[in-house]
Amino acid sequence: MNRVVTYIYDDTFIDLISLIAKLIINKARPYSIQSKKNYVATLFSEYKEYEFDPKIAKKLLNKLSHKIKKTIINIYLSNNKSKEVVIYYFIKNSLKYKDDIFQMRNLKCVHEGLKISKNVTRETHKFKGFTRFKLLNNDVLYAEISPTNDIIFLLSKHFKVRLRNEKWVIKDVERNIYCIYEKGKTYYVNDNVLEANKLEFDENENQIEKLWKNFFNTISIKERENKKHQMSLMPKKHWKYIVEMEDVYEKSDK
Amino acid sequence: MDVQEKLQILADSAKYDASCSSSGSKRASKKGLGNASISGICHSYSNDGRCISLLKILLTNACIYDCEYCINRRSNNIKRATFTPEEICYITINFYKRNYIEGLFLSSAVIKNPDYTMDLIINTVSLLRNKYNFNGYIHAKAILGASPSSIKKLGQLVDRLSANIELPSEASIKLLAPDKNEKSVTKIMKQIKENKNKNFVPAGQSTQMIIGATNDSDYDIINKSSQLYQNYSLKRVFYSAYMPINQSPLLPMVTIPPLKREHRLYQADWLMRFYGFKAKDLLEKDDNFNLLLDPKITWALKNLSEFPKEINKVNYYELLKIPGIGPTSAKRIIKCRKKFKITFLDLKKMGVVLKRAKYFITCDNQYYFKRDNFNKNFIEKKLILEEKPQYEQMRLFE
Repeated sequence: MNRVVTYIYDDTFIDLISLIAKLIINKARPYSIQSKKNYVATLFSEYKEYEFDPKIAKKLLNKLSHKIKKTIINIYLSNNKSKEVVIYYFIKNSLKYKDDIFQMRNLKCVHEGLKISKNVTRETHKFKGFTRFKLLNNDVLYAEISPTNDIIFLLSKHFKVRLRNEKWVIKDVERNIYCIYEKGKTYYVNDNVLEANKLEFDENENQIEKLWKNFFNTISIKERENKKHQMSLMPKKHWKYIVEMEDVYEKSDK
Repeated sequence: MDVQEKLQILADSAKYDASCSSSGSKRASKKGLGNASISGICHSYSNDGRCISLLKILLTNACIYDCEYCINRRSNNIKRATFTPEEICYITINFYKRNYIEGLFLSSAVIKNPDYTMDLIINTVSLLRNKYNFNGYIHAKAILGASPSSIKKLGQLVDRLSANIELPSEASIKLLAPDKNEKSVTKIMKQIKENKNKNFVPAGQSTQMIIGATNDSDYDIINKSSQLYQNYSLKRVFYSAYMPINQSPLLPMVTIPPLKREHRLYQADWLMRFYGFKAKDLLEKDDNFNLLLDPKITWALKNLSEFPKEINKVNYYELLKIPGIGPTSAKRIIKCRKKFKITFLDLKKMGVVLKRAKYFITCDNQYYFKRDNFNKNFIEKKLILEEKPQYEQMRLFE
């Protein structure tokens, strides 16, 4: 009986690339690639690991164009369960087709890969709008988000420009990652350096939020009310962290 | 009166302006706060499902004019309020910092006279740009009858200017907005067009028309739009379904705003701007759009002799005429078919809406259905059935 082999890598992007480089050299056709964190052993499966080799990882990356690398990183940041295998085949075909890969939409790895990548950029774009900051009493703007994909890195690039003269922190609540920004630099930390329940807000925070909610409710035209449409554009899963939807969220069954 | 109450009054008076787009400008962030994003960003969606990207308010709702359809008309007995420039800056900056909004959309009723109103708007925007170093998106209303010099001043401070034409014909304007005339609007549009550059109204100008307040047909409306796009290089014409706000013998008796009609007009507007259609292709004189089928399908059914089109052969402009294919997927098809022969299965992966396109195309000379099904009756019936049902699901307890 053929046992299914799962290849395992060490939870970082460069580790995955190293693994893929080795698999390409060995001409493997991987059925499944998983990060150590996500791998669950089952009765009929076995796993295989390769030693991390930064040299061959770098060599592989150097063969790929900027556009291809950008796409792979987007796929990597997604929460798609089979993203690693998609990346493997995407890279393998990129070596053959170069930038023409983007026109090879009849290949499964290409149309799947581009779909996943687009899903990540689209979510990033949505969060450029949906992220809500609160002003703390130490002049820091603080936001909590809970995106489906791991977009905090892409999102912070946007706020680095927009709020370049402010101090701000964005927290990905589920992944427990903070992005901290001050004076042109971003820092990522993943333990509880800041404890959200100890945060103290600026004395005007309440008044501003009230103004905003007031505006939000006033700007809607009653005769045109269409909450279904609203929900399809601003799905319920985001409500918890969107201040104007707070009250609706509290009243809804979650 | 406190800021809270003013905001309520002046947002309430501003909500009928349809424009909320924040795209088309890439104002950089230098010192100070914010930038403009070329793609535009929606920050929230109100209960009516419309996007909120700008803080949409009036500077004042105390108007000297008396337009029949307008909530702020002089003869209406409503609460009046006026913001101070500092108040507007305070709200804008604080909302922007918290990422509630993409910028400000400042409009105003005409108070005292047009130039006085313009000066108030200019003062506010200038305070925002120069004292608070705000680089976010600003859309301001150009007040009809304002002097060319004040338009010039304001245009250098904002990303977008707009003057609302409101109604598609001079006769309708005369009837419902006796203090306005078409010329006063086009005069401003012309001036904005002539001055436009990267430091003057970089995101271009827009306008708005009310739909269903007068007897003008859809043909009149899109014909007017296409003239405006052509003559004044407008970025957008917005359509706003007429809402019965005021009682007047001159206004139609409706209770439900014509939303479907508004939707069809937007679809036609897109066809004219991005798909190479002309107003006269889409409608005959005095006609209205079919509410059951969208304008592109209606056009395709009327010109069925041009179809089916072969996906692997026809050029970009031909592809654009196929229902279910837009600029993005058309470009994709052109690029991809150089690499491989496209099949029906591939089309789905390329973002083509196959459920509409399949009736109008062949892939490598294959038709999706039996060949003799390619006739108007079959296609029309199928497409009407595929449109979303128009009923609401019944609720148990109501």
